[in-house]
Amino acid sequence: MALANDVDDVTMMEFSGHSTTAADADEFDGGCCDWSDWSPVVDWDAVPGSGLDGFHDLMESMLEDGTGPHPHHLPPQWCDSPPSVHDATNDREGDGTDGHDFKGLRLVHLLLAAAEALSGKGENRELARVILVRLKELVSPASGGGGTNMERLAGHFTDALQGLLEGARAAGQGGGGKHSIGGRPHREEVCYNQTEVLVAFHLLQDMSPYVKFGHFTANQAILEAVGHERRVHVVDYDIMEGVQWASLMQALVSQKGGRPSPHLRITALSRAGSGRRWTPTVQDTGRRLAAYAKSVGQPFSFHQCRLDPDKTFPPAVLKLVPGEALVFNCMLHLPHSAYHTPGSVASFLSGARALSPRLVTLAEEEVGLGGGGVGFMGGFMDSLQHYSAVYDSLEAGFPMPDRARALVERVFLGPRIAGTLARMHRGRPGEEEDGSGKVGSWGEWLGAEGYRPGRVSFSNHCQAKLLVGLFNDGYRVEEVAGNRLVLGWKSRRLLSASIWTSSSDPDSLD
Amino acid sequence: MFHPKKPSGMNSHERGMCVQGDSGLVLTTDPKPRLRWTVELHERFVDAVTQLGGPDKATPKTIMRVMGVKGLTLYHLKSHLQKFRLGKQPHKEFNDHSIKDGKRASALELQRSSASSSAMIGRSMNEMQMEVQRRLHEQLEVQRHLQLRIEAQGKYMQAMLEKACQTLAGESMVLHNSSGGGYHSHKTPSSNMPNSMNSIGGGGAPFVKDFGSSSPLNFPSFQDLNIYGSADQLDLHPTLDRPSLSLDSYHLPSNNNSNNSHDNTGFGKKRPSSFVTGGSGKNPLLWSADDLPDHGHEQIHTPEMVDSISVDIYETKPAPALHGGGGGDDQTEKNLQKPLKSHRHDEHLFQQAG
Repeated sequence: MALANDVDDVTMMEFSGHSTTAADADEFDGGCCDWSDWSPVVDWDAVPGSGLDGFHDLMESMLEDGTGPHPHHLPPQWCDSPPSVHDATNDREGDGTDGHDFKGLRLVHLLLAAAEALSGKGENRELARVILVRLKELVSPASGGGGTNMERLAGHFTDALQGLLEGARAAGQGGGGKHSIGGRPHREEVCYNQTEVLVAFHLLQDMSPYVKFGHFTANQAILEAVGHERRVHVVDYDIMEGVQWASLMQALVSQKGGRPSPHLRITALSRAGSGRRWTPTVQDTGRRLAAYAKSVGQPFSFHQCRLDPDKTFPPAVLKLVPGEALVFNCMLHLPHSAYHTPGSVASFLSGARALSPRLVTLAEEEVGLGGGGVGFMGGFMDSLQHYSAVYDSLEAGFPMPDRARALVERVFLGPRIAGTLARMHRGRPGEEEDGSGKVGSWGEWLGAEGYRPGRVSFSNHCQAKLLVGLFNDGYRVEEVAGNRLVLGWKSRRLLSASIWTSSSDPDSLD
Repeated sequence: MFHPKKPSGMNSHERGMCVQGDSGLVLTTDPKPRLRWTVELHERFVDAVTQLGGPDKATPKTIMRVMGVKGLTLYHLKSHLQKFRLGKQPHKEFNDHSIKDGKRASALELQRSSASSSAMIGRSMNEMQMEVQRRLHEQLEVQRHLQLRIEAQGKYMQAMLEKACQTLAGESMVLHNSSGGGYHSHKTPSSNMPNSMNSIGGGGAPFVKDFGSSSPLNFPSFQDLNIYGSADQLDLHPTLDRPSLSLDSYHLPSNNNSNNSHDNTGFGKKRPSSFVTGGSGKNPLLWSADDLPDHGHEQIHTPEMVDSISVDIYETKPAPALHGGGGGDDQTEKNLQKPLKSHRHDEHLFQQAG
C-alpha cells in the first residue's frame, strides 16, 4: 500500500499552516509520535464557517450516550499507526457504544480536517492525503452496509474528498476535466444500470417521504389551480421516470363533483447527450405514462421537447394550445437526477416567465444554500449535516443495517455527495458558471424574477403532514411564507416544495 | 341544490319538511295578508335568481316570470329580492320565515330561538361550527385521497419494475420458491464463479433474501421468494443446509469474514471479498449471509427484499456473468416485489392493487 511512502512524507511535513489546531503543536518533528500533541479536539472557533452550532448538534447526535471524546485515546492510536495498518481492529474493538461514539466523532474531525486542508488558499494536499488515508482505514472495514450511519457517511465523504484530491492533482498535471459527478470515473458512473437504479428508487420511496413530498405537494397545488379546466398543459423540467404524474392523473380522474377530467398534456424536456444512462429515456417515460393514463381513463397526450446542448430553454419551442392552463413543474429534489447547472434551471424558469404560466411548482433540496457559512468549509459542513440527517432519516425507516439502505446510499447519496463537493470545490460560491446569479435557493430566485408566491392550501398542508406521519415521527412539515412546505428531519430541513404564479394571474389558488 | 326534504348537516337552510300544499302560497291570517316566504318558496326564488344570473342581474319581473307562482306579485318579489341582495344570509331566513311549522327538527328550534334573540352570536358560532366541521371533513377527504395517490404511484412503479424485470429475463433462469423463513444455499458452481451472485453489469440477477420470521424488522416472512440462479452454474437446494458448508463455498475467495460482519445486529453480513472493492463504500449488492437469529450462524442468503405484502412476484433472471476478480462492482439486483416499509407503516396503505 501506499502507506509506507506516506510515512516518509509524513516525517517531512510541517503542520505550521494548520489552522485548526491553533494553539497546539504545529510543528512535526522527527518521528511520528508527536501526533500526541495534536489534540483531537479541534479548535472549533478557528474553523471558518458559521454553521458551528448545527455542527454541535451533529456531534451530539453521534454521541449516543453523551460521553465526550477522550483525548487520550487518540494519540496512542496515531502513534502506532504509521507502520501498522491494522488499527482498524483496534478501533472497532471499541467497546460498545463508547467506541462507536468516539469513532464517529473522530471521523468528523478527520473529515473536517481533510476538507480544511483542501480548501481555500492554504490548500495542503499532502496533509489531506494523509488524513484521507487514515480515514479510509477507519471506514473501510465498516463500509458497505455494516457500520454505523456515521461510518458509512464518512465513507462516502472520504471518497468524495479523495476525488477532489485526485482531481486536483490531475488538474494540476493538466489532466482532464472532472466529471460533473466526481473526478473518479472508475468509481462513479460505473455500474449503475437502469434496473439497479430503479430498484433503489423504489426503495427510497418506501423508506422515506422524500420523493413523494415534493411530488404530492406539487400535484395538489396543480389540482387546485387547474383541475377544473378543460385542458391542462404541464411542462416538466426533468421528468425522470414520470412517477409524479401517475398520482396526478389519479387525482384528476377522481375529482369530486363528477366533472370530466381535463385533458392532460405533458411536455417533457430532454437533453441531448446528458450522459445519464441509468434513467429511462423520455420516450419510454412518455409511453409508460400514456399506458397508465389509459388504464385510469385520463385523456392524455405526451410531447418531448429536445433541448440544445447548451441546455437553454426556448419558450417558443413549446406547442401551446389556446385555452389550456399552463403549468411548469421543476422537481430538483430527486436524488438520481443528473446534475442540472444553475444556468439550465434558470433558463427554464425565466423562459417560463415569458409564457405566464398559471402555476409553477418547484421542489429543491435545502442544502448548499449558503446559510452554513462561506467557502468550501461552510459548504462542506452544510453537506455533512444535511446528509447525516438524510442517513438518519433513512435509518429511522429501516432500523437495521440493511442492504436496502446500503443500496440506496450507494446508488444515490454517494454520487450526490461526491458531485456536490466537487462542485463546491471547483467553484466559488456566488460565481456560478453560467452567471445565473443564483445565490440562495431557487425559491428566492423565483421571487426575485417576478413570480408571485402561491398559497399552500389547508388540504395540501394536511396531506403533507399525513404523508410524513406515515413514515416516522422524526419528520416534520413546516409551512413557510405561505407558499412553501418544508420537509425536515428533526432539526434539519431537507427539502422544500413551493408554489408560484405569474403576477398577471389573479390568485387562482384556493 | 338544497332539497327541502333532506336535512343536510352543513347547511343552515336545513329545515325539516315544509311540505307545502300545491297551491303554493302561504298567506298569513293577519288583517293584512302578508306573504310567508316558506322554505320551498324561497328555494324556488333562489333557483330563479340563480337562473337569471344572480341577485344583481335578476329583476322582480323576470323572477316572477321564471318562478311562475300564482299570486306572487311584484311587490312581494321586490322586497324579498332586496333583502336577499342585502344579506344573502341564510340565517336571516330563519327569522323571517314561519316558525310555526311543527315538523322542524328540535335542534333547529333551539338554534332558532337563540338566533332570534342573539342573532349575531348565533351566527358566528354557527359559522365556527361549520368551519370546524368543514375542516374535519376536508381532512378525511385528504386522507382518503392520499391513500389513493400513494397507491397510484405504487402501481406505476410496480409496472415499471415488472417491465424492467421482464427485459432482463432474456437470460436463462431457474426459479425456486421458498417458504417463509427459509433460504437457499447454493453450491459453488464448477465454473470460476465463486457463487451464485450475479453481477448486474451482466444483466442483473435478482436475488431475494429472507429475513426470517423473527426479523426484528417485524416483517412477515416471505411467502414467495424467488431465487434465481443460472441453471448451468448453480444447484439450488430448497432446504436449509448447514450454513458452514455453504458459507465456505461462498467464501472461498475471502476469509475476512470478520471484517464484513457487523456486530451490532443480529445479522451477520458477509460478503465474498472478491466482490469487495477497495474498501470503499461501494460494496456489491451482494447480500450474503444472513442469519436466522436462532441459528447464530451466518448463512448465505440472497439479497433481502423485505416484503411485507405478499404478492405478485417478479420473475427475474439472473445473469450468469460473474466477475470473480472483483475488479468491477458485482452486484445482485434485488427482486423487488413490494414496497419496503418500516414497522410504522400502515400496511393497508401500501397495498398495491395488483
